[in-house]
Amino acid sequence: MIDDILNRAEDAIEKAQNLNQLEDLRVALLGKKGELTALLKGLGQLSAEERPKMGGVINQAKGVVQTLLTERKNALETIALEKRLLSEKVDVSLPGRNAEMGGLHPVTITLKRIQSLFAKNGFEVETGPEIEDDFHNFTALNIPEHHPARAMHDTFYFDDGSVLRTHTSPVQIRTMENQNPPVRIIAPGRVYRCDSDITHTPMFHQVEGLIVDKEANFAQLKGLLIDFLRAYFEKEDLKVRFRPSYFPFTEPSAEADIECVICGGEGCRVCKKTGWLEVLGCGVVHPNVLESVKIDSEEYTGLAFGMGVERLAMLRYGVDDLRLFFENDIRFLRQFK
Amino acid sequence: MNISTTWLREWINPKVSDEALAEQLTMAGLEVDGIAPVAPYFENIVVGFVLSCEQHPDADKLNLCQVDVGRADALQIICGASNIRADLKVIVATIGAVLPNGLKIKKAKLRGVESFGMICSDSELGMADSSTGIAELDADAPIGEDIRKYLNLDDNIIELDITPNRGDCFSILGVVREVSANYELPFVLPSFSIKTQVKSSINTSVNNTTACPKYLTRSILGIDNTVKTPQWMVDKLIRSGQAIHSPVVDITNFVLMELGQPMHAFDATKIKGEIEVRNAKSGEKIELLNETTVALNEDTLIIADSNSVLAIAGVMGGLDSATQNNSTDILLESAFFEPVLIAGKARNYGLHTESSLRFERGVDFAITELAMDRATQLIVEICGGQASDVNACIDEASLPKLLPITITQDKIHKVLGFELESKWIEKKFIGLDFEISSKTNCTWTVIPPSFRFDIRLPADLIEELARLYGYDKIPVQKLSLDANINAVEEAQIDKYDIAQSLVTRGYQEVITYSFISEKYHNLIDANANKIALSNPISAELSVMRSSLWAGLLQSVESNQRRGHNNARFFEIGLCFSGVKADEQASKLAGVISGNRFDAQWSGDLMPVDFFDAKADLESLLKLTGAKFEFSASEHPALQKGQTAKIVSNDKQVGWVGALAPNVAKALSLPKCYLFEIDLAVLLTGKIAKYEAFSQYQQSQRDIALVLDEATPVAELIDSIKAMQQQNFVGVNLFDVYAGENIETGQKSIALNLVYQSLEATMDDEQVNNKVDEVLDLLQSKFGAVQR
Repeated sequence: MIDDILNRAEDAIEKAQNLNQLEDLRVALLGKKGELTALLKGLGQLSAEERPKMGGVINQAKGVVQTLLTERKNALETIALEKRLLSEKVDVSLPGRNAEMGGLHPVTITLKRIQSLFAKNGFEVETGPEIEDDFHNFTALNIPEHHPARAMHDTFYFDDGSVLRTHTSPVQIRTMENQNPPVRIIAPGRVYRCDSDITHTPMFHQVEGLIVDKEANFAQLKGLLIDFLRAYFEKEDLKVRFRPSYFPFTEPSAEADIECVICGGEGCRVCKKTGWLEVLGCGVVHPNVLESVKIDSEEYTGLAFGMGVERLAMLRYGVDDLRLFFENDIRFLRQFK
Repeated sequence: MNISTTWLREWINPKVSDEALAEQLTMAGLEVDGIAPVAPYFENIVVGFVLSCEQHPDADKLNLCQVDVGRADALQIICGASNIRADLKVIVATIGAVLPNGLKIKKAKLRGVESFGMICSDSELGMADSSTGIAELDADAPIGEDIRKYLNLDDNIIELDITPNRGDCFSILGVVREVSANYELPFVLPSFSIKTQVKSSINTSVNNTTACPKYLTRSILGIDNTVKTPQWMVDKLIRSGQAIHSPVVDITNFVLMELGQPMHAFDATKIKGEIEVRNAKSGEKIELLNETTVALNEDTLIIADSNSVLAIAGVMGGLDSATQNNSTDILLESAFFEPVLIAGKARNYGLHTESSLRFERGVDFAITELAMDRATQLIVEICGGQASDVNACIDEASLPKLLPITITQDKIHKVLGFELESKWIEKKFIGLDFEISSKTNCTWTVIPPSFRFDIRLPADLIEELARLYGYDKIPVQKLSLDANINAVEEAQIDKYDIAQSLVTRGYQEVITYSFISEKYHNLIDANANKIALSNPISAELSVMRSSLWAGLLQSVESNQRRGHNNARFFEIGLCFSGVKADEQASKLAGVISGNRFDAQWSGDLMPVDFFDAKADLESLLKLTGAKFEFSASEHPALQKGQTAKIVSNDKQVGWVGALAPNVAKALSLPKCYLFEIDLAVLLTGKIAKYEAFSQYQQSQRDIALVLDEATPVAELIDSIKAMQQQNFVGVNLFDVYAGENIETGQKSIALNLVYQSLEATMDDEQVNNKVDEVLDLLQSKFGAVQR
């Protein structure tokens, strides 16, 4: 009889299609009024000898049924889950929602990069006003009135004689006025020249650098700038050359050229067939400049350098038209992410 | 300045190629902008003589010429040029020649007649951009001579970019000195002996000897200025970029290019009375050689005769007294004008001349006499005439002082970072014409030469040594290690982090010009201080911005014009309320327009509104941890009713709002939302300070209130916070509603209040009491009634 119950139960559990049917079966078999429960209740009618034997058989059958029920339940749950997952399937290739991202301007990207490279060498960032007085923009930098270099600066003026700074060099002066040596700063920012054509915009960016130290010298300046240029262009063997030049506020003065990063030094339109690209100006701070801020030029040596940010950005990213930087066309800006 | 290498090599001839020479000059500080041959390469092109020239039997426009090229037989050549004729010296490309344009000269048949060469124009030889007809050579050109040799075509032009400190290099002589110092080669400064045959008849005086310490004049009488300037001089002048005029003017230009001394020749017959060098008087005028008339300022040094102004000293001569082809008597001028006093004067009159260029940078005050003699010698040789003695006005005391400069080997070492040998140093000083006036134990005192206006300090000497040593050879050193960890304030917020947080919210950074048009200035805030440039590049870029909005709106407009309607731009930069340093403040501003996102597969297009702009700004403000209040306000560029000013510590620090419709219309802009904030308030954050939080359950209550529509919700919330109830955690606004079921002029808001005790879980009664306190306050203060 038990075998018969077990066979039927096995068959019914196997055929159960959902958890409700399965629960009904459990009640019918193992519930208070279930078949196997009833058998257990009937044990009292049996002899004392048969009772434990029969009890064991019934309990074993209950265990078998419970196992079958659990297995079937697990199977049904798995099927149900599979079905749900199938219904919840998505096209993972669809784009995510609201994933738009802006970007920094390439000049900012370049400035940030220059700053972080110099920060590794202990350079602090200093800034200054963009409308400058004549003293900070010219006189203190050893550019007295009527100096030919003033004519080369194409200066924007205001009626009271103030100027839009023509270079970031005034920040050198302001820093030395406010801080005793040693000094190790860079000064990034906007500068202005009254000039506008294919290769000039009336506003552009420079990064100025200044070191004032008892032990500073020209050989260190060379070392620092070669390291910087190689790091900026990520080219360990980038060729860099220094040649004499002229800035009123440095003596000796130098310009640094790098091998053309466009043609690799073979000669092209960008480097005007010379294989070299002028990228920065530098030099030993002129004694007159140190004196204008009351620093003893016998005790201290100043080193200064300045570079055009747009120029470095153009070479780094292959931009061939300076004016693009200030047209703010998002077809241009979006490319720098 | 353009330098012909053959001219240079007549003076000094280092055994290196022109290219190597150019490279050396660049590395010595005379930057070479370019080097180019005067003519492209070609061969088998010679001087020919047209023996006869007849019309081609079958062609009207062709001529049949017999040309002697120095061979046994004359060549028969057909030529179509209109200026071909017999008895003319011409340039003949013989069979086998290849012209610069690639044309190979072969025996040819033109309309049945054979031709054995080609008669060439300058342009066909690549020596000119265009030519009218064939080149006509001088009658004395030797028949058969290679044209390269005859025209001295194996020459390169070096284009030098001379820095302002090296006025001494604006001449062949100046560059020769540089070559001499670089290659350690000697050269000879020539001298000229002049036979004076007449007495100078024009008296000269200098009134302002500070500006003109040296003024020399010489008369040359009876010249013939109609002769042709000799070809060798023409070649040199043209290759130096000088135009050809009459022989006298060409000669003064030649001396300018050769020795660097600007000279002037007056027509002596036009000079009335005496010559005086003085400052201009009020009201004086002069018609210059360039045929413009200028009114002279009193600070301008001039050359005048007894009647009128003859020239602006060191800048340009006058038209009336200029030499002409028919001039017979001339007065030559060779002078030294003080650079500082002459600087800027030419520019004041919109002039820039070869003469002013040199005088402003400093002309050798010791070469004045030599230049006078050189010009005299050439004029007498080319134009004839009789030279007078030199009338010299010299004020020795006003000439530049050549003061000794003392330098030590230690100082050189300290500045350059490496040691130069003392013998080498001395050799270089001598090579640069520096006079070593004393020398003791690695200390030198030197006197710079009269042509070096840039050598005044020890630093100048160090540069000379460094550049002659070669900057490239200077060893490289590392910066000495600065072992201090620089103090960085933790509370300080990096500008780039602020920018980056806007980027993450979809903003593109722009950089716009700091100067804007007056129109934009007036539209954005006509009341803002207008800081106008005196010399703007255009009206569009003439006023310093008082707000970043002008540039941002222009960026929206230009991108929208190109079809990009969704805009999210920001900029960080200075805005100007005055010209003083403390009137220039860094601001950050943003603009949004169009939809929140581009069209997507999921979700509808939603146009941006006030609260999108405000949320973006609030996200930045939250970086600082400080408290900011937004209160309704008005701004000329913003829409009334959608404008808030931002206040922090009782100070107004920014704005947010919708662009005013009238401004949008004036600028053809769509609906835009703007914000702007002083960058300084964003750069200061807070250092975190830990506070214990409760382990017990928190209790929440939602309340709905009806109140006057005009009551700002922020005030309500601030009042709740100001109660500082014990166990109060926070309040959150989760609904604002007006409309159906709410009386007109009223609105409904829903608040979620949160309480939590550090000691125990609060019971309902405790929480309800707290909420009742809040309701009582809102009722009494704002008339808010619970729904």
